Amino acid sequence: MENAIEVRNLRTHYGNIEILKGISLNVPKGLITAILGGSGCGKSTLLKHLIGLLKPTEGNIIINGRDIAGMNERDMDEVRKKIGVLFQGAALLNSMTVGDNVALPLREHTRLEGSTIQIMVRMKLDLVGLSGFDKFYPSQLSGGMKKRAGLARALAMDPEILFFDEPSAGLDPITAAGIDELILRLKDIFRITIIVVTHELASLFRIADHVIMLDRGEKVFEGELDELRASDNPRIRCFLERQAEEREYTPEDYFRIIAGD
Amino acid sequence: MKTDAMEIEVLSYRGIDVLKVYGDIDLYSSPGLRKNLISIICKKPGTLLVDLSNVSYIDSSGIATFVEGLKNMMCYGGRLKFIGLPDRIREIFSFSRLDKVFEIYDGIDQAI
Ligand SMILES: Nc1ncnc2c1ncn2[C@@H]1O[C@H](COP(=O)(O)OP(=O)(O)O)[C@@H](O)[C@H]1O
Ligand SMILES: [Mg+2]
Repeated sequence: MENAIEVRNLRTHYGNIEILKGISLNVPKGLITAILGGSGCGKSTLLKHLIGLLKPTEGNIIINGRDIAGMNERDMDEVRKKIGVLFQGAALLNSMTVGDNVALPLREHTRLEGSTIQIMVRMKLDLVGLSGFDKFYPSQLSGGMKKRAGLARALAMDPEILFFDEPSAGLDPITAAGIDELILRLKDIFRITIIVVTHELASLFRIADHVIMLDRGEKVFEGELDELRASDNPRIRCFLERQAEEREYTPEDYFRIIAGD
Repeated sequence: MKTDAMEIEVLSYRGIDVLKVYGDIDLYSSPGLRKNLISIICKKPGTLLVDLSNVSYIDSSGIATFVEGLKNMMCYGGRLKFIGLPDRIREIFSFSRLDKVFEIYDGIDQAI
């Protein structure tokens, strides 16, 4: 299997504190990779390194065959154009309409005509289920709609790789399930490589192909979803069972999800 | 950065304009495609054939460019026809249901 990203011996610090303690992992191309782990174990830190926002103390991060760990900003900008990011609290610009928010990266990074960009914006908004909302301001949208609008913006440049940091945090289960379905569609239709940091088991089992689990800065598991389910590693069992106790859906929610609206 | 990953050839086949595209239609090559497309459409041809058989990749900017082209042709009753769609591109068209709006033919003789 071809890898979109390969991480080798990644070591990172905030000040003197070692956060990621020599992690190696692969992100297979065209699949959904979920990153799991308790709060504070270094998931967001890992993502920030994968998109070149932070530079590691040590190690290699190979994206499409190129090591971004020591890359200069100019080359990094080229790599970033093929990357879409939807982070926690990665807010839309409130002073701009949803349509302008989605158009912004295209206006900044390409020479496309305004007329072409307008059509692209409508395509992206339609893709995330926000057709007709281009003239709305972010403040006029619900939490779930803001997430979708953020996703439309992350998709603006037709990325090859998409990163999500806890995309369903703060959303009700039905809205969260809607985001999961959208993530699956992006994989199926556009064959985008997707990396999702997630807490929610429901989401994990619905969307993940490949799973990486971190614990206190170390990788404790990497493999397919089935292997995770079957694992007898106590740290993994503990994570899965603790999570399973927190009922995600009421039966009514579940019925509405599977019955379709 | 991909800039010249695409080439365009404008031909005439039995009096019909044919726009033949080679390579990748992406964020960087779409403006060039648009220029060619619009300059042909300005002359209001009854039919314009677009041959995509040598296109390996099309992104949303390429699709948007053809959407704009078709929109302009519809204003005067012109017809935009596609031939030689590789499977992957046909898939992308059909996902967005543009295969129901764009006229798609297997080959040049079916299209005219
Ligand atoms: N900018 C920062 N400066 C110092 N410490 C940080 C910073 N960001 C995160 N940390 C610490 O690094 C550890 C990992 O954080 P993070 O990657 O955000 O964890 P996760 O996303 O898994 O919850 C935590 O202990 C956190 O407090
Ligand atoms: Mg985090």
